Amino acid sequence: MALARDFYRALESILGPENVSEDPVVNESYSFPIRKKTMPEKVTYMPRFEAVTLPGSTAEVQAIVKLCNKHKVQYKASSTGWLYCDPVKPNCIKLDLRRMNRILEINEKSMYAAVEPYVIGAQLQAELMKRGLTCNQCGAGANCSVMPLASHVGLGHMSQSGSYTERNLLAVEWVTGDGEIVKLGSLGSLGEWFCGDGPGPSLRGIIRGNTTPLAGLGVYTAGAVKTYHWPGPATFPVEGICPQYRHPEMPPNFMIRYLSFKDVDTTIEAVRRVGEAEIGFTLMGFNAAMMASNIATDNQEDLDYLKKFSEQVQGCGFLLIIVGNSARDYDYKKRTLEQIMAETGAMSLKDVEDPVMGAGFLWRFIRITGSIRETSRATGWGGGTVGGSDVFPLMTRYILHTSNLKQELIDKGLIMDDFIYPFIQSIEHGHTGHGEILIRYNPAGPDHIMKVQGMLSREANKTAIEGRFGVPHHVWSDMLHDMYGPHVMNYHKLLRKIKKNFDPNQASEASNYITAKDE
Amino acid sequence: MALEDLRNEMETCRRCSACKFMPFEKVAGFQPVNVCPSISRYNFHTYSGGGRMVNGVALLEKRIDFSDKFMEVMYNCQMCGACDVSCKYAMDMEVIEPIYETRIKAVVEGHTNPALDKVINSLRKQGTMVPGAKVKRGEWAAGLNIKDCTKEKVDVIYHVGCQTSFNKNMWKLAKTTAKLLQKAGVDFGIGGENETCCGGRAYQMGYQQDFLAQAKKNMAMIKKSGAKTLVTGCADGYHAFKVLYDKFELKGKLEVLHITEYLARLIKEGKLKPKKKVDITVTYHDPCHLGRLGEPWIHWKGVEVPGHIRIFEPHKEFRRGTYGVYEPPRDVLKSIPGLKLVEMGRIKEYTWCCGAGGGVNDSNPDFSLWTATERINEAEATGAAAIATACPWCIKNFNEAIKAKGSNLKVYDVVELLEKAV
Repeated sequence: MALARDFYRALESILGPENVSEDPVVNESYSFPIRKKTMPEKVTYMPRFEAVTLPGSTAEVQAIVKLCNKHKVQYKASSTGWLYCDPVKPNCIKLDLRRMNRILEINEKSMYAAVEPYVIGAQLQAELMKRGLTCNQCGAGANCSVMPLASHVGLGHMSQSGSYTERNLLAVEWVTGDGEIVKLGSLGSLGEWFCGDGPGPSLRGIIRGNTTPLAGLGVYTAGAVKTYHWPGPATFPVEGICPQYRHPEMPPNFMIRYLSFKDVDTTIEAVRRVGEAEIGFTLMGFNAAMMASNIATDNQEDLDYLKKFSEQVQGCGFLLIIVGNSARDYDYKKRTLEQIMAETGAMSLKDVEDPVMGAGFLWRFIRITGSIRETSRATGWGGGTVGGSDVFPLMTRYILHTSNLKQELIDKGLIMDDFIYPFIQSIEHGHTGHGEILIRYNPAGPDHIMKVQGMLSREANKTAIEGRFGVPHHVWSDMLHDMYGPHVMNYHKLLRKIKKNFDPNQASEASNYITAKDE
Repeated sequence: MALEDLRNEMETCRRCSACKFMPFEKVAGFQPVNVCPSISRYNFHTYSGGGRMVNGVALLEKRIDFSDKFMEVMYNCQMCGACDVSCKYAMDMEVIEPIYETRIKAVVEGHTNPALDKVINSLRKQGTMVPGAKVKRGEWAAGLNIKDCTKEKVDVIYHVGCQTSFNKNMWKLAKTTAKLLQKAGVDFGIGGENETCCGGRAYQMGYQQDFLAQAKKNMAMIKKSGAKTLVTGCADGYHAFKVLYDKFELKGKLEVLHITEYLARLIKEGKLKPKKKVDITVTYHDPCHLGRLGEPWIHWKGVEVPGHIRIFEPHKEFRRGTYGVYEPPRDVLKSIPGLKLVEMGRIKEYTWCCGAGGGVNDSNPDFSLWTATERINEAEATGAAAIATACPWCIKNFNEAIKAKGSNLKVYDVVELLEKAV
């Protein structure tokens, strides 16, 4: 379906001809047909965007959005574009926000950073560390946008001490579905980024919800993120050549451990105690397979470490990073941990204790460079479901249920046998928790993905609904919202009203959010 | 390996965008962070390593063809290999190999770029990648009393390369190299008028058959000479002789060294003694084909083991740029008294390309210049008075960028700086 000529010419006049293309070669590269192999055989339709645009400013985004509304063309924006940004139907153009890549402000005194959507986690974290600050970046990796509204839920490896988007999101600049520029929080009244709730309009619940709208409610063109104190080095010493990097030393007052426990209850108890003592900078309930993937530089090495680590762990466990603000603070935290370990019978993975290997683990987990290895290297295709967040003790139920489920898939030969325990994490020192089933498998083959993902999704939804385990962060379609809504005070009806009011023409493509369809 | 055979490699792309950035462990600030000139200049995902994987699959499935746009995207890439290294920090998949094979497929099917055809015609008729050259190959050596390796037995062949032979501005580099080798007492010779192009740049452009023809000619000449060692003064030449000839099993037991590797060896053996002080602050630019792409070819034959993790039987070691030539040029520079070496933000395996590779110098000079200018800006930011490198193509591009920009930065080959000290 070709775009009307006057529409396309208008795009060119907004952006300049070099920043818009409707050539099939360009459109195709955004359609990600590689995913076709993961689809059931009967699916043959691979949609493309009608055009791809490269706006460089909020004004250009607004002009495109208004133009789309006028011409009844849908649009979909994304930043680094790892997930949730594919075209799904005709008559939709792409806004690739790659040119919006500036750090607008780092305010050391008020401890925030304001960024455009294409600033990646690695960039902002590196700039902040020079200033004695850091931020919680998306756990998916340093390759992802660091803007709190561009990176899904914003849970990250620092969520133990640095929370997630719900808390870290400050002021926001938003181009609504129909093209109004709305400045939220302090930006709306004072032109400053320090607060998301005022003075000025606070619409955080509206623009975000349980997860972000995943490009379904206009375009977030800038946002501020809260920053945290960083007592580590301004730059981390890394020697050698990629990927054989060496990390010669553990920074002073830093410690990393991988601890495993005899059963799930003891694991949960250990997390509770670490949280209660507030000694954790990072606490991520990885299973040992993720530790193996993190250090391994190829798949074969991954399997070798997997075998080695399986002999050094006793059940489920977690990665813990402790950071002292002073030698005394570090000593207190270290001794507290030793006591918790003794009382809970924790087993420590020896390779992580090694100062040089440990320094490597430390840096990869703080910078979050290992996520691609952990989730994608096996076959280029990772899977699972993004569970919800809820009070931490409910993690026991989550772990038990999902590990049984994973075992079933392993027994059927459908996925890789890389430990049954799901990934969980503690947020705000155990205030809440979050869980995900992460699996690795070869998606090729007739309907393989449907068998695996279908079962996981069904079970995950069942767990959430019957087990009262929060609303998962994978609820991103009309179908899922319609299913969950009646169980959660019909929130989906409110969500539809939001969509209808802020995007009256349904211009912002909402297949990963919710549409304003009639009830 | 044809593009069809690399389908699974391309389909392993997860579109994480790591190919656009330097390895994330090494990011030390907001900038520099980009490694790929093509996506940095043109911004559409299409121009990135990941975009090229997507479109490679689409080409095989005939959803797109060798249209004008496809050709434009395909040739606006310096084949610098930065995407390949950054991807392979985390992934087990080939990136640059499908990019090579896409070009080869285009040429085989008759889809070529006129500017590159002109260069290849020059190669076919005159044996050089510098079309319109007014001088003869080997003319630079007049009066230097250098042995002709096609007539006399020598231990070492100095392969000068097209850019140095046919660009008169580069002759001083060839002469300096020869004088240093003579000073060190090396029994070396050159091919003179009989030297011919290594073919490496033809391969980068997709003209595989022309590359193979050159490789066979060169290896026949080398075999006849009896020399056991070949030293190149050019990074492209090094990559061709060391990596590509080996890839096609043409290299045999020939020892291939870049001139910086050989000079570092001569210094270590005490055959060259840098004594004179050279008071200068320089920054070193790693040529892509000497650094990340200069690591030896890894011969592997086997199969992918079916399963839920991509492993191979026998074990397949991917080329990731880890074992490229990074230290020898630096060792030479560090051996020079008074010289201070300062590093740029993007170095070694994640260096930013000079812009000359992959035929871009001929097919899109503006993009080539833009890329070089980025590097000159980065070099200037170090406070260095000069940028040193180890490839005449880099030197040519940097000089053009400096002229266009009006910069005061000087450009040297590592060889020239060493000569000042010896």
